[in-house]
Amino acid sequence: MLSALLLLPIVGAGLIGFIPIKLSASQLRQLTTIFTIIICAWTAFIFTQFDLTNPGFQFQEYFPWAEPIGLSYSLGVDGLSLPLLALNGLLTLIAIYSIGENVERPRLYYSLILLINSGISGALMAKNLLLFIIFYELELIPFYLAIAIWGGEKRGYASIKFLLYTAVSGLLVLAAFLGMGFLSGGASFDYESITTQNLSLETQLILLTLLLVGFGIKIPLVPLHTWLPDAYTEASSAVTILLGGILAKLGTYGLLRFGLQLFPDTWSLVAPGLAIIGTVSVLYGALSAIAQKDIKRMVAYSSIGHMGYILVAAAAGNDVSILGAVAQMISHGLILALLFHLVGIVERKVGTRELDVLNGLMNPVRGLPLTSALLILGGMASAGIPGLVGFAAEFIVFQGSFSTFTIPTLLCIIASGLTAVYFVILLNRTCFGKLDNQIAYYPKVLVTETAPALVLTAIILILGVQPNWLIRWIEPTTDFFAVNLNNHGEQIAFQETPTQKDFIFNISN
Amino acid sequence: MAATINKTKLPPSQHEFAEVIHRLEAGGSMLPDTPENLMQIIGIYKAYAVPMDFYWRDLLYIAEQVFLEPLPFFKYFLPKEYLTRHNNYAGEDADLQVWRGKATAHPELLEFIDKGKTGKIPKLFHHLWHDRINMEFAEACMRAMLWHGRDMGLGKFDAYLDSEEYIQNADKAIKAYFKNNPAMLALYKIFPDMFLEQVRQLSYYSNLGLFWEVMAPVFFEMSDIYDEGGFKGVPDAMNFLVNGIFAVAGRPIYHHVYIRGECYEIIPKSKGFTWLYEAALPYVEAIFYRTSPFRGTKSYNAQAKQVPDEQKDFHYGILYADVFPVGTAGIPPTLLMDDMYHFLPQYLQDYYQEHCRGEGDVLIQLGITFQRSMYNVTSAVIQALRQALLYPLDDENPNHLKANREFFEAQMDRFKLPEARLRDIQNQEYR
Repeated sequence: MLSALLLLPIVGAGLIGFIPIKLSASQLRQLTTIFTIIICAWTAFIFTQFDLTNPGFQFQEYFPWAEPIGLSYSLGVDGLSLPLLALNGLLTLIAIYSIGENVERPRLYYSLILLINSGISGALMAKNLLLFIIFYELELIPFYLAIAIWGGEKRGYASIKFLLYTAVSGLLVLAAFLGMGFLSGGASFDYESITTQNLSLETQLILLTLLLVGFGIKIPLVPLHTWLPDAYTEASSAVTILLGGILAKLGTYGLLRFGLQLFPDTWSLVAPGLAIIGTVSVLYGALSAIAQKDIKRMVAYSSIGHMGYILVAAAAGNDVSILGAVAQMISHGLILALLFHLVGIVERKVGTRELDVLNGLMNPVRGLPLTSALLILGGMASAGIPGLVGFAAEFIVFQGSFSTFTIPTLLCIIASGLTAVYFVILLNRTCFGKLDNQIAYYPKVLVTETAPALVLTAIILILGVQPNWLIRWIEPTTDFFAVNLNNHGEQIAFQETPTQKDFIFNISN
Repeated sequence: MAATINKTKLPPSQHEFAEVIHRLEAGGSMLPDTPENLMQIIGIYKAYAVPMDFYWRDLLYIAEQVFLEPLPFFKYFLPKEYLTRHNNYAGEDADLQVWRGKATAHPELLEFIDKGKTGKIPKLFHHLWHDRINMEFAEACMRAMLWHGRDMGLGKFDAYLDSEEYIQNADKAIKAYFKNNPAMLALYKIFPDMFLEQVRQLSYYSNLGLFWEVMAPVFFEMSDIYDEGGFKGVPDAMNFLVNGIFAVAGRPIYHHVYIRGECYEIIPKSKGFTWLYEAALPYVEAIFYRTSPFRGTKSYNAQAKQVPDEQKDFHYGILYADVFPVGTAGIPPTLLMDDMYHFLPQYLQDYYQEHCRGEGDVLIQLGITFQRSMYNVTSAVIQALRQALLYPLDDENPNHLKANREFFEAQMDRFKLPEARLRDIQNQEYR
C-alpha cells in the first residue's frame, strides 16, 4: 500500500521525462497533476484505513534488501508521518500550479518535482535508518537541479550552498545512524531494532549531537541557517514551496523520530540547550525578517523563526508540546506554501519583490486584489491570529512548552508578536497605498494561478476553526512518544498535567 | 504652416511643456495628433453624449419642475415630456442645427432607460439596482459649479444670484410653489436663506442643463462626422469644437420654473447671461480643473495640507484625476465611467479588449480615454479664448505672437503640478 506512494511519482517522473510523444508544457502539467492527484487520493485512502487507536507504525511493508549491511526495504506510517505525507502530496500539487505555463524544459522540471515527492515520501515512510538516509540524500539531487536550472540570478551560488550544507547534514545523520547501529550491536538498522539504552551517556550525547547538528542544518536552526535565505530566495516559487513547506520538515521529523525517540535518556539533558537554540532561532528569524526589503526573503526568514517553535516544543518533550510540534510542522507547511505561492504570483505579475517598489496591489481593477487579500490572510495565519491554523498550532506549542521552559516560551510569544510586525510592514507596503500610474500595467492573475492559494486558504481556515481534525491523527503517536520519553528519562523536566491537554481539547472542540 | 511662421518669428519656448506650446501655436491640441488618439476621443465623445442627453434633460426637469419638492424621490424618473423635448441644437426644427439626428432623446438612451443591463423590469427596480444613468455625476458637477462659482471671477451669473432682483424672483416662485402648504411657508418664513440657497442651486441645475443641451449634439455630430470619414486628425476635432463654441456662444442662460402651468422667470433670458461666459467657461474651470476632493477610495487630509487652503488652487478635475484607483479624485470617476461604458461604440470596445486587462479594466481604460478627450476639449477652450482675447496664430506681428506665447505658457503653468496628466497623455501607452 505504501510502496504505491513511492512508486507512483517515480513512474510519473519516468513517463513525463521519457515519453516519446511531443507534449506541450500545459499537457505535461496536466499529466503531472493527474499523477499527483492519484498520489493525494491514495494518501486519502490510507487516511480512511488508518487506525487512530494504534500509535505505532501501520501498513508496514518489509522486504530484505542488503541484509549484511542491515539495509531493508521497510516502510510504515504513524501519526507523525501520515499528516506529513498528506502535506507532501498537497504541496506537490500546489507547486505544480506555481510553475508558469511557459516554463523552460517542462519535462525535466515536472519530472524533478515528482522525484522530490517520491524522495520525501520515502524518507517519511522509511522504517530502516539506512533506507531513510538514502531517501534523505537522494531528494537533494532533484532539489539541487531545480534550484540550479530554474532559479534566479544567483542560482548557481544558492544551489551549491544548498547542496553542500544539506549534504553535510546527510553525512552527519549517516554518521550518527552508523554509530547507533554499530555501537548498539544490532544486526539491522531497522527502527524497532535500534536501541541506545546500552550505550554510555557520553556516546549517546555524541550521537545525539551529530543528529541534532545534521537535522539542525536541514530545519535550519541558527547558526546553521545561512543556506536558507539564498536557496529560498533564488529558487522558483514551486521549489521554494517544497523546500520550506516539506523539506525543512524532514529536519524536525528526524529530530522527533530519531532524536527524541531513540535517545530518550539523553534528550532531557540536551533539551534546555535545544530550547535556547530554538528561541534564538525564533527571535533571529523574526528580527531578520523585519529588516528585509525583499518580500520572499522576508518570508524565508520568517520560516527560520517559525521552525524554532517546533524545536522549543520538541525540547519540552511532553505530550502537549510534542503534539504542538507536529501540528506546527503541518501548520507552517501550509502557511509557508501559501505565502511563497502568493509571493511568486506577485513577482511574476509585477516583476519585482522589492518592498520599496511594490505598492497598492489591493487596487481592485489594476492591482492584484485577490492575491493581496490572500496575502493578508496568510500573514494573519503566520502571525497566529485566532481562527486560523497558525493560532491553533502555536497555542498548543506554547501551552505545552510553557511549564517546562517558561522564559523561552515567553520569548517565543513575544516573537510571535514580531511576526505581526513584519507582516504588517509587508502588507502595508505591498498591498496598500497608491498604485503607481507609471508602472501599474500588471497582467491579470488567472483563476488557475489563484486556485492553489484558495485551496490552501480553505484548509488553513478549516483547521483553524476545527483543529481537532488535524490533531486527532497525530495525538495517539505523540502521546506514545511522550510516554516513551517519560518512561526512560530520569531527569525529564516535564510537568505535564492532565488538565493542560483537557483544556486545549476543550477549546479545539 | 502657422508653426513654420512661429518658428521663424519667435525663439523656441523654454517652458517645461514647450512641445505642447509649439503645437498649440501651430493650431494643434494639447493631445498629440495620432489616429489612435482621434479614434479614442471621438468614440468617447459619443459614449459621453448619450448619458449627457439624459443629464441635461433631467437637470432642466429638476430645475423647472421638481424645484423645491421636499422629498424628491423621483427626480431621476424623467417624464416623457422631457424625453421627447426637442433639443434646440438637433433635428429639423433646431434653432441652430448642430447635429443632424433626432431632436428627442437619443435612441440608445431610450433603449437603455427601457431595458438597462438587467432587462425589462419596472423602472423602480432599475433605479434601486443602479441600472440607470447616474444622475449623481451630473449633480456633482452642478455642485462644483455652485461651490466654485463666486470664486472663479468669471461672468456675472453667480453674482446675480445674490441680487435683490433674483431674491424677489425666487421669493415669488417659492411662495407660489408652496401656496397650499402652510408648513413649508412657515419654514420659509423662519429660514428664508435656506430656501433661497436651494433655489440658487436649482439655478445651477438650469445653467448646467442648458450647457449640456448644446454639448450633447456637438459630440453626436462629431461622432457622425468621424463615422463618415471626416476629421483627418485631432486638430480637426478640436477646431470643430472651437467653431461650435463660437456658434453657440450667445445662447441665453436662464432659469424658468413651471408651477401649476405658470412660468416663473427666476433668471429671465433678458438678463443677457450667455452660454460661453456664464456656463462654458465656468464649467471648464470648475469641473475640468478644480472640482473638489471627491469621495472615493482615496482620503484627503486637509489638516495635513493635502487639500489647498484656497479654492482657486484646487486641482481635482479630470485634467488632474488619477483614474487608477476607481472612485478617487476628480469628477469623472466611477459613475461617469459606468455611464459611458453602456454606450461605447464597437470600435472602442474592440480597442479596449486589445489592451491591458481587456474587459477587466475597461472602466479605467475608458476613464483615461476620457481624460485625453477632455484635454482636447480644454485645448479648444484655450484656443477659443486666445481667438477671442488675443491674436490669430498666423499674425505677422512678433509682439502679437509673443502675447499668444505668454498666454499659452500661462495656461500650461497650470499643468506643472505633479498631479497633472498632461505629461501622461503625451504617451500613447498611458492607458
